[in-house]
Amino acid sequence: MTERLLTVEGLTVDLLRDGGRVPVLRDVSLALEERQVLGIVGESGSGKTVLAKALVGWVAEPLVASRGSVRFRGQDLLAMPPDARRVLRGSAVGYIGADPGSSFDPTLPVGRQIVEKVRAVRADIDATAAKKRVLDLLDRVHIPSAARRFDEFPHQYSGGMLQRAMIVDALASDPAFLVCDNITQPLDVTVAAQIMRLLHDLRSDLDAGIVFISTSLPVVCDIADELVVLSRGEIVERSTPERLLAAPEHPYSRDLIARNPVIWGTPPEPVELEAAPRAILEVEDVTKTYVVPDRTRFFGTQAVKAVRGVSFAVHGGENLGLVGESGCGKSTLSRLLSWVEQPDEGRIRFKGQDIAGMSAPQLLAMRKGFQLLLQDPFNCLPPNLPIGRSIGMSLQIHGGLGRKAIAEQVRAVMAEVGLKDADRERLPIGMSAGQRQRVNIARALILEPELLILDETLSALDPMEQARLLDLFERLQARHGFTYLFISHDLAMVRRVCTRIAVMYLGKVVELADTRSVFFEPTHPYTRALLSAVPTLEEKPFKAADCLLEGEPPSPIDLPQGCSFAARCPHAMPRCRAEEPPLVELGGGRFSACWLNEPEVSRAA
Amino acid sequence: MGFALTFFARRLAQGVLIVLLVSFTIFALLRVVPGDPARIILGPMATDEVVEQTARDMGLRDPIPLQYMRYLGQVAQGDFGTSFIKARGGGSMGGGRDEARGERARVLDLVAETLPLTLQLAGLALVFTALIALPLGIAGGLMAGRWPDKLALYASSIFVSLPNFWLAIVLALVVTAKLGWIPSIGYQNIAYAILPAFVIAIEMSPLFIRSLSVSIADTMRHPFVELAQVRGLSPGRIFSHHVLRNAAVPVLNLFGVQIGALLGGVLIVEYIFDYPGFGLLTVQAVLQRDFPVIQGIAIISTSIFVVINILVDFVSAQIDPRIEY
Ligand SMILES: Nc1ncnc2c1ncn2[C@@H]1O[C@H](COP(=O)(O)OP(=O)(O)O)[C@@H](O)[C@H]1O
Ligand code: SF4
Ligand SMILES: [Mg+2]
Repeated sequence: MTERLLTVEGLTVDLLRDGGRVPVLRDVSLALEERQVLGIVGESGSGKTVLAKALVGWVAEPLVASRGSVRFRGQDLLAMPPDARRVLRGSAVGYIGADPGSSFDPTLPVGRQIVEKVRAVRADIDATAAKKRVLDLLDRVHIPSAARRFDEFPHQYSGGMLQRAMIVDALASDPAFLVCDNITQPLDVTVAAQIMRLLHDLRSDLDAGIVFISTSLPVVCDIADELVVLSRGEIVERSTPERLLAAPEHPYSRDLIARNPVIWGTPPEPVELEAAPRAILEVEDVTKTYVVPDRTRFFGTQAVKAVRGVSFAVHGGENLGLVGESGCGKSTLSRLLSWVEQPDEGRIRFKGQDIAGMSAPQLLAMRKGFQLLLQDPFNCLPPNLPIGRSIGMSLQIHGGLGRKAIAEQVRAVMAEVGLKDADRERLPIGMSAGQRQRVNIARALILEPELLILDETLSALDPMEQARLLDLFERLQARHGFTYLFISHDLAMVRRVCTRIAVMYLGKVVELADTRSVFFEPTHPYTRALLSAVPTLEEKPFKAADCLLEGEPPSPIDLPQGCSFAARCPHAMPRCRAEEPPLVELGGGRFSACWLNEPEVSRAA
Repeated sequence: MGFALTFFARRLAQGVLIVLLVSFTIFALLRVVPGDPARIILGPMATDEVVEQTARDMGLRDPIPLQYMRYLGQVAQGDFGTSFIKARGGGSMGGGRDEARGERARVLDLVAETLPLTLQLAGLALVFTALIALPLGIAGGLMAGRWPDKLALYASSIFVSLPNFWLAIVLALVVTAKLGWIPSIGYQNIAYAILPAFVIAIEMSPLFIRSLSVSIADTMRHPFVELAQVRGLSPGRIFSHHVLRNAAVPVLNLFGVQIGALLGGVLIVEYIFDYPGFGLLTVQAVLQRDFPVIQGIAIISTSIFVVINILVDFVSAQIDPRIEY
């Protein structure tokens, strides 16, 4: 009888802490056949990475494998001598982790490091052959100009490209067994979708069994033949993607499925266009360019075009969403809106008044009506101040109230955001991320603002806490008539809460319309690409295969002429590479910047 | 390669500026502190008129920036002036004998005689430092928290608490005078550099031990090091090809900064061991208010400092391409 590719039996891994043992994995058993893909899904902290590492025989202090075995073709990886394990690990067993940014030595060219690894585990391949092999593979995983990239350093790669390089590193030695630990997690949705597509492609001509681990159920279901659900270090359900989605057995699995947002289920009610909407915040042709040093030239500098002529208006009482992938200029824009930085060109008006022309007291008054909430509240809270004091501090800065009145208001807003009165004396350090975010909200709320700008405010929170805070925002809006500007990369969240959505790509708004139009009838190819890349359990109206080409977004330093999406757009025409399409109204309050809309534009005109 | 060219062009330009700034400061300070150079040259016996006349002839009554420009002009032609005190063949000259001025030693010659001896001493000191710090620091970094780490820490604390002059005297007394193993005091051959170099090394090693063990321990904690084992690289290769490389940059930078301290250490140690190097020249020049020598020393030692730091930064940038200068 031939041995199975991988058999895990009764694996228990403990964490040694303060003389005691805390179990991290409990009695995990798995089986992987040759060329099969086994999915493992679990939330963060469920023990996925410990398991992933244990599968390649890597359990290091302060972790110990106290029971069980991990047998690769019959050999126990946990029990074998370190040298034998090392060679096996690099050659027959491959591992790709969640953090491509720190997977390579930062001081050496990527290509050379992969060659180094091939040579270390495969004595039969000489240096020239190894280099050729790595170059071929870099090409295979669609790294553009592989020969040049071979000699570049990790910091010159984008996250997506590093992840591709890690895939090359794992495949270069022809592994029979490959562990992918949350490989799409740090990547932007479109880049993650490209990586998943690559993995699908490779699978067909790869002779490897794969264990694919992820926090995202849709991503696991997309690629796995069979899957297990991991919760608190234990396998709670074994199933296939189809069976799990159709009939989950364990309550935890049901919960996991229910937590995945539905995007295209029922379309939102079409919004009534107000005849004359009241604009709270107007942004007109705003640009921001950062000048950074260029070390390749004598005293040279480079211009990073972070925001390139953005215009939109936020209307009273609405929720406007601003979506886009990392580096598209969202955070820069939020800094401009809150006047932390000044735009190079363009105007920002708050309630009809140009911020640039405001006097200092006017600016202070404006800041009060207009609050920015950031992703990491920890950095904005004074660490040594009890939270009651730091909430009251914002009122003190704006002046005009006695201590008693302030204490009174602090109590009121704390109750409103769901903080207990007893929390007033606590320091931020002991609080959970969700609680700290509540403190931050209370600090903003106490000033009775009209507009709240939320820059990735909920991104770092787990889905439960995120849902609770969204409810809170809804309640606050109903009571105080707030207007929200949600800046986020999370399309599902924006879909849930926003009435209108602006889609940004490389410093420009490429589409702006009501939520229904954006999700159901998007007019810009980038919007469709973005939607096709969102991992969901439901059937998507847009397929990544049709909507998303290979390729990386260009750098904001070297913007190509014409439409900045042209390199990844399935519809790109010669004109797109010559002229940049302007953002024009298509009627019904929908705006889009794409030459494909030309006919519709002329009809509307 | 464009980078190297722009790097050196930029850094040398900065370096020249630093040297000018330092030398001007010293130049100006020497002229405002009490002690008239003309009086030093002529000695206490000369009359005030003669002193005044000499000062005028030497341009000492001109505005300081003008004097400095004149000085720079001479330096540009390779003329660092002549010592007020030292005679050409060595030994010092008392003030007063006007006719002997031509016989005074040229600063450049003084430097050329002493600098090689000091470079030899500093080089030997660095070798000793490396011999002490590399094993202790690397072992401490690799086994952070365990006995080699503690050993490195204890050794450093002991070294730090040994005053250099005390150690120098004890070594000279015991090793040279009593046991007669290694000569010291004065200079005849390279053996005379061993004890002084050792004293400097003991003074410098604690910092390098610390820096090495900290940066090696930091690098060992980097995820790529752990992952390299899973990728199939052997521990030996990971250490020699990746950990040392990454840990080198902070240590190199410390070296650049420590050049100043090294020169300071040389000063004291040469004085104690009567080692006829650059440091001894400096001490004597300062004690005797030998202004031209002090100025020359300032320019040359600042230049050494600047050049070594440029090299250190260049090597760092070659090792770690992320470093921006
Ligand atoms: N202070 C800065 N200096 C130089 N470049 C910057 C600075 N801030 C942002 N950028 C660049 O501007 C672009 C937009 O960044 P950002 O606004 O942070 O995008 P996002 O929030 O969508 O991730 C990126 O290319 C980023 O590297
Ligand atoms: S303008 Fe052209 S390249 Fe740009 S999105 Fe439209 S079709 Fe694609
Ligand atoms: Mg951002």
